[in-house]
Amino acid sequence: MNIFLLAPIFISFLAGLALLVWSFREKRTPSSHKTEAKPWPARTLFLSALSLSALCTVFCSLKVTGSVVLFHLFSKLPIALSLDSLGRFFVLTVTLIWVVVGFYSITYLTREGEEKRFFGFFLLLYGVLYCLGCSQNLVTMYLFYELMSLTSFPLVLHNGSREAIMASLKYLFYSMCGAYMGLFGIFVLYHTLPDLSFVAGGSASQALLSQGDGLLPVAILIMLLGFSVKAGMFPLHAWLPTAHPVAPSPASAALSGIIVKCGVLAIIRVMYYIIGPSALQGSFLLTVLQSLSLITVFMGSLLAFREKVFKKRLAYSTVSQVSYILFGLFIVTPQGVQGALLHLLFHAIVKCGLFLTAGVFLYSFGYTRVDQLQGVGKKMPVTLWCYTFFALALVGIPPTCGFLSKWYLAQGAFASTAGVFRFLGPVILLVSALLTAGYLLPITMDGFFVTKETTVHADKPCEPSLWMLIPLLILALLTLGLGLFPNAILSFTQSLSDSLFQTVSTLFIIR
Amino acid sequence: MEQYLFFLTILFPILGACLIPFLPYRRRTDMLIYLEFLCLVTSALVLTLLYLSPQGTYTLFRFNSRLSVSFHLDAMGKLFGAMVAFLWPLAVLYSFEYMKHESNEKSFFLFYIVTYGVTLGIAFSENIVTLYFFFEALSLVTLPLVMHTRTREAILASRTYLYYMIGGAAFAFIGMVFVLTYGTTASFLPGGVMDLAKIGNRTNVIYLVYILSFFGFGIKTAVWPFSNWLPKAGVAPTPVTALLHAVAVVNTGAFAVMRITYYSFGADYLRGSFAQYTVMGFVLFTIVYGCSRALKETHLKRRLAWSTVSNLSYILFGVVLMTPLGLTGALCHMLFHSFMKITSFFCAGSVIYKTGKNYIHELDGLGRRMPKIFILFAISAFALMGVPGLAGFVSKWSLAYAAIDSREPLAYIGVGCLLVSALLTAIYMVTILVRAFFPGKDFAYSSLQDITDPNWYMLLPLFVFAAVVIFFGIHPAPVLELLASISGV
Repeated sequence: MNIFLLAPIFISFLAGLALLVWSFREKRTPSSHKTEAKPWPARTLFLSALSLSALCTVFCSLKVTGSVVLFHLFSKLPIALSLDSLGRFFVLTVTLIWVVVGFYSITYLTREGEEKRFFGFFLLLYGVLYCLGCSQNLVTMYLFYELMSLTSFPLVLHNGSREAIMASLKYLFYSMCGAYMGLFGIFVLYHTLPDLSFVAGGSASQALLSQGDGLLPVAILIMLLGFSVKAGMFPLHAWLPTAHPVAPSPASAALSGIIVKCGVLAIIRVMYYIIGPSALQGSFLLTVLQSLSLITVFMGSLLAFREKVFKKRLAYSTVSQVSYILFGLFIVTPQGVQGALLHLLFHAIVKCGLFLTAGVFLYSFGYTRVDQLQGVGKKMPVTLWCYTFFALALVGIPPTCGFLSKWYLAQGAFASTAGVFRFLGPVILLVSALLTAGYLLPITMDGFFVTKETTVHADKPCEPSLWMLIPLLILALLTLGLGLFPNAILSFTQSLSDSLFQTVSTLFIIR
Repeated sequence: MEQYLFFLTILFPILGACLIPFLPYRRRTDMLIYLEFLCLVTSALVLTLLYLSPQGTYTLFRFNSRLSVSFHLDAMGKLFGAMVAFLWPLAVLYSFEYMKHESNEKSFFLFYIVTYGVTLGIAFSENIVTLYFFFEALSLVTLPLVMHTRTREAILASRTYLYYMIGGAAFAFIGMVFVLTYGTTASFLPGGVMDLAKIGNRTNVIYLVYILSFFGFGIKTAVWPFSNWLPKAGVAPTPVTALLHAVAVVNTGAFAVMRITYYSFGADYLRGSFAQYTVMGFVLFTIVYGCSRALKETHLKRRLAWSTVSNLSYILFGVVLMTPLGLTGALCHMLFHSFMKITSFFCAGSVIYKTGKNYIHELDGLGRRMPKIFILFAISAFALMGVPGLAGFVSKWSLAYAAIDSREPLAYIGVGCLLVSALLTAIYMVTILVRAFFPGKDFAYSSLQDITDPNWYMLLPLFVFAAVVIFFGIHPAPVLELLASISGV
């Protein structure tokens, strides 16, 4: 029965590779980009593989327990998959975003060309992300973390312009840099704690961290900084605003919604499943990381506020918002972690929605800049309403879901022992929320309420095709629904974060 | 009986190769049959030796009571011999196709196969004198291969090569004399042979001599500041660059450094001395320096050569950790790097053979025309970057583990250097792949109309090497246990 855990991987890899080979074998003549004779066989394959593996994932996360060993890297170090609560939470989030974005990209990609290549890498990436969520130990996670960078950069360079290629390489090298910083920590941790499997609550003790020649804390700091490169934390956030505008909008949505969260996942795994909150409490590491994350929250919002290119603005907004999650993790309180988990899910939904909206404007009118969007509400009222819900959620206004996560993050900060950050943290979060309102809501206002000077070309509504609209509506409904009926998700995240803070009875010290 | 087997194994390829120019071939393929016959018989002899594992020492000839050319078989020699025996027949198959359009192929193959015998001599050498003898011989027999094309560039490169090798030999000679003077014996014994009573208070002199002989033997591994010869020697035909200047010759250097460090001077004697810190400093600098130069280089083969410079210093880093775990890591990287780098060089060679393109900016769009070659290249590139599941990760892991285990602050920095180098490797390898597979939307594939993958002479060795890289990446446990037993962990 455990073997069923491999089903989503198998399906998505097989279909993904098939699509890649298919795209690879096509005759390359200059005209064949535009006149793809029969696009539907490939699309059908893509959609059915995506839905099938999504169904398998849902089934696995509901029913399957236990683990599967893929191979043994070293005698004591298996590359193994199993699903724990955090893994379930993560793979379900991934699946939700992937299905929505997958259906959306069918129409969107007709403009971009090379559909099969995109779909192929998109499916491969799904399989890799699934494995990342299911990883049973740190080395397995590292394996899929690297594969994730390698399979996601072709999505960024999709349109093939020189700018896109350079941006994708920048993205890849930032990711690699982060991954290798993480690897340094893994090397050192393996020497101290040879069993690198994930245990809720961690398995290191405070004594372990303070003894020895001081290598371990430094290595952990380097490791957490390394994984936060993917999460776009200052000072290594620069890849986000470069990669997002050139990538096709579905790819940006996936990057911002999910890929940056992989960094978050890695940090949760290291902090709460390998080392443990009790060992970290009061360490200098946390002060460094808290300050960096708060700087990022503020700086990201500020940069987004003065940015005029829509997708770049959203990218800076991601920089800021993901550091909310990181701040919640770095203050090491149960409420903080719960807030972080909630924000992980909600930000994935909301930011994905925002990028898909940006994609609609780009696809329908070719608008890339914010000031071009004046009066867009007359043409696409439904789309702009969806946008407004996402914007409200990102600012954190009830009854949308963003309010909840921010509430818990602030609660966590107040409950912590983080010195000055106990109060400074929530203040910065609030200031940043104001800035968020400042850079997102004017678009709604300009969109609906046209000033006299601007002439609007077509006043008739011309909503995008249903392939694009329905995914947006689903995300908007979720934004509202999760804010109105949050009980299930609240109790799930609460039990998850509580389980991380239970004192582990068997604290063992090696050496 | 076993005595003669040793001599036969080493002399058979040397003598057999001397016949290559004189045999009458009706077709070109006949030569391939003879070459493969030589290589396969030699490899079979090596395997027989490994199977029989004779314990004794066998002397070929004796200069005086202390100096002799003699052979034995220990675990490290077995490993090196087995690796060479595996690589040579496949490399010859590849070179046969590659040399189709080059002139003077008979003399090329003569020296190519003589080198096989000389390398085996190094693997089986029992004492430092024998090692030195074959080490010198190796420089001389590979010289004609470097200047094979006889162009001005090749002649200049071979001159540089010769100067470096002679200089290295001089330093190595000093080391040899001191080992003979202050050691109990010339033989290689685990733990070293230094006679502490004889050394007395001259410890610092011995450390200095170790540094000299490290660089003397280390010139072949292109440790900075003696690394320039390796990229220059890239003017040689690709089979030479791939097998000799990425694997056999340079690994011989690493092998020799392992021998003098662990079997002559003794790791315990050297550990913690200024000699260790000095050489480690140079090694760490080379790791980063090689990668940075690779990044700057636009010539495909030279870029790979600089990458080799850096990777060879990974091996030396393991060696100069002076711990058994370090030696395990070094052996592991020596073995795995050989397979990874020969794969990437052979891929580069196939591109040159098929298209005549030498520079990286000319590789645009070739991924679609030569998919097999570039997928194999991608495997080797990912392995060199250290993606888990491929061999490179395993060796990097064991090196890093050994470094952290040694508890030396300089070794911690070394782990950092390994990772910086891994990042630089990612940059200079992935840019090649991106050019080949994603040339941009306006690229005209029609300009690459009749380029295809090469035939199976070239593909078979490549597939075998890539399979080895993947296999060891997924299932390294037996190899690691073997290596651990060699280095006595």
